[in-house]
Amino acid sequence: MTAIVHARQPERSGRIPAMARHPPPQRRRPAGRAAAGARLPTGHAAKQGWRERLGLAIGTSLWGGHLRRWVLAVLACAAASAPASAGNAGLQRLTQAWAVAVAPASDGPAPPGLVGERRALPDLAPPARGEAVATWYRVVFDVPASLGDDAMLALHIERACSALEVRLNGHLVARAGDRARRAGPACLPPQLLALPPALLQPGANALDLRIDGLPLARVASRRDAAALSALVVGPRSELALPHARATLAQLYAPQALAAALLLTGGFVFVLGWRHRAESHMAWYGALAVGWSLLEAQRWLPGLPLAATSAQLLHVTLLAFVTLAAVQFLLRYAHRRDRWTTIALALQCVAVPASIVLAGVDRLHAVAAAWTVAFALQIVTAATAHLVLRRRAEGRLPHTAVAMLALAGGALALELAGRWGAVPGGIAVAAQLAVPLALIVTGLRQMQRHGQALQASEASRVQLERRIQDATAQIEHNFRQLAELRVEQVTAQERKRIASDLHDDLGAKLLTIVHTSDDPRIATLAREALEEMRLSVRGLTGRAMRLGDALGDWRAELMGRLAQSGIEGEWHAPDDELPQVLPARTYVQTTRILREATNNIVKHSRASQCRFNAELADGDLRIVIQDNGRGIPLEVDGRLDHGHGLASMKHRAKQMRGQCLVESAPGHGTVIRLTLPLDGVAAAAP
Amino acid sequence: MTTHVLLLEDLPEIRSWLRSLVLLVFPGAQVSEAARVHDALELVSALRFDIALVDLGLPDGSGVQVVERLREQQPEAQSVVVTIHDDDEHLFPALQAGAFGYILKEQPREMITEQLHRISQGEPPLSPSIARRVMAHFSVRRKPRIASEMLQQVALTDRETEVLLRVAKGYTLPEIGVQLGLSRHTIADYVKQIYRKLNVSSRAEAALEAQRLGLFGR
Repeated sequence: MTAIVHARQPERSGRIPAMARHPPPQRRRPAGRAAAGARLPTGHAAKQGWRERLGLAIGTSLWGGHLRRWVLAVLACAAASAPASAGNAGLQRLTQAWAVAVAPASDGPAPPGLVGERRALPDLAPPARGEAVATWYRVVFDVPASLGDDAMLALHIERACSALEVRLNGHLVARAGDRARRAGPACLPPQLLALPPALLQPGANALDLRIDGLPLARVASRRDAAALSALVVGPRSELALPHARATLAQLYAPQALAAALLLTGGFVFVLGWRHRAESHMAWYGALAVGWSLLEAQRWLPGLPLAATSAQLLHVTLLAFVTLAAVQFLLRYAHRRDRWTTIALALQCVAVPASIVLAGVDRLHAVAAAWTVAFALQIVTAATAHLVLRRRAEGRLPHTAVAMLALAGGALALELAGRWGAVPGGIAVAAQLAVPLALIVTGLRQMQRHGQALQASEASRVQLERRIQDATAQIEHNFRQLAELRVEQVTAQERKRIASDLHDDLGAKLLTIVHTSDDPRIATLAREALEEMRLSVRGLTGRAMRLGDALGDWRAELMGRLAQSGIEGEWHAPDDELPQVLPARTYVQTTRILREATNNIVKHSRASQCRFNAELADGDLRIVIQDNGRGIPLEVDGRLDHGHGLASMKHRAKQMRGQCLVESAPGHGTVIRLTLPLDGVAAAAP
Repeated sequence: MTTHVLLLEDLPEIRSWLRSLVLLVFPGAQVSEAARVHDALELVSALRFDIALVDLGLPDGSGVQVVERLREQQPEAQSVVVTIHDDDEHLFPALQAGAFGYILKEQPREMITEQLHRISQGEPPLSPSIARRVMAHFSVRRKPRIASEMLQQVALTDRETEVLLRVAKGYTLPEIGVQLGLSRHTIADYVKQIYRKLNVSSRAEAALEAQRLGLFGR
């Protein structure tokens, strides 16, 4: 239930129309005011809820991903701002006015004698020709009788483009904006003007508003044409809230969003520029920055541009935004088309050129045609984007669909709002939704970029680990190879020494063996040859299994004894023996046994000899017993050194074993050789 | 009938000494001497020999080449390795190539003549280490299955393996004869067979190896 004061039919006399007074409803129904007073807290609560919801909307959108909640919040925001200014009993919403066009160059108060026509407010883009429009609007309102003495009456103008002059009962109350529109935005921010009590008359009061603006034909966007919204008159204290709300919706919120969009766009642009593989990010950045500049035109004060230049810039920016949007949509879907890029870039040049060529009076028509073309291009690109991504990902990308639907819907609502086809609140919310959708898209880009960065970092770490592993493996192999090489070289060198010994020393010794007339020398040379051969064997020979070594010893020693006519006996474990003798041990043991056999053959005059080999406590024990004459004692009480016993003992000691000789003249000799096998590894099976 | 003997030895003193030994064992033998592998090979293609005494380490190569050539061109000739190396590393390849026994040069005259005598009678010597190598050669069948059929024909019999096993343990051939209740001649025949089979199987393996290389090296 609102209190509305209707303007009356003007009288033909041309005087300022005498306004019939319709008593405000609250006067007749004081209960209404009381009810309104009672509703006030409710309205307050509604405002709080709106703010919270807006905060929630931005918060959730920043948090990212929760698109559905975000959309709901935006809708809620639009719904909340819809029941705009009126709704309070003390406020008078004036939606009818008498309008009189005047020469833009004229000055002074409203022409008292001019006949006007009746127009409904808001009066958007009044038809006009020429380079400027100047219109006087007259509305009549009542001073509410219930207004307290200390309460101030005020006028709230939500929207006025571009310059405004307000006169109350003929007295100048306020002026705002630049009539010549040499600079600054096209529309004024919401105005809250105090109506001085001294100028008020009891009963009906006449308010004259002069609006100076651009004719529709000379603006690119309907938004920038001369316009006047509905007026609300009421106590200043009650108008403060709607005014603040309108200022927030039309000034602060767009400013904040544009700033956020600029930052997001700039950041994403830099990211996209640095990572050429993600060029869609750079295009998104261009889009966001272009859009924020487009928005900034509406509130950025002091832009030193004449009206026409500003309009030209506006359309050109729009073309650039279209270029960026199309490129972003296509590249995001991994489609790169050189001709599209060139065509869109050419379009950015063609747009201002066409406007300049068409002339300033056809600006709107040309701009409108271009706008339709832009819309078609973007819709086509969006469709292509969805189709391409569906083909690539196998399903429709829900986020992209929702985001495009949101932005498209918001744009459509906003355009409709310019024609007055939708309630002002929804149009304002739609205006805010576009940058919001862009910001969310930007955040999503950053999120994806961050994910990609994380993934690449993870794979880099993995790669690094694999490289480390591979390096360690290579180093290990190299070390092994080097060791092997050293072994090979050593073995080769040993072989060379061995073959030198054989070929040079061996040949010479052999010559001595077979050419010497002295049998003693021949024998010595033969023994030397045998020694040499053993040494070479110790140098190059491989480790030997104990069983094989015993076989060799048996063959040699038994053969030797047989040649000398001595009856030999051999006892050794017959089963497979796993122990392995290093080449050196084998050679040294062979020498000991050979020496012992030599002694028997040469000195003992024995007829029988017995070898006994056994394994006990990890030792190899060999006992050689003969029935010869024994070894005679020397003067000093020690056994004969001439028999090589000392060297036998020495050799046994070298192998950490021992060699004991028991002998008594006439009772034969017993040689006990004990060699530890513990340091000797068991043979591999 | 004169015995034709090839004597390959690079040291002149040893060569003349060996020549005297040969004449002692084979009175009236025709001895052709060579100091190099090259000369010996020429002699092999020019003359027929009954016995060849071949040194292994020669200035222009290994005597194994001569043993091989003899095996190919004069299969009835007996190659005997006369060497200063007593280790199987050096001897085994010569035996595989077809040498029928070996003599260590530094041994006293009597022993060498005795051994030469025995070899010419078909009783080659067999040391424990050579016996082990022969056993390893026949037991380690690491070669692919295609080889088995061919090598089956030259596989050792149980008796031959038994003899080898005992030689490896250090028993002399007469001892083994007593242990197995066999005559000295039977044992000598086993040893001869072992030598022959070693040569045949070695050549078969070499042929298979060459075939394999030919197949895969293409």
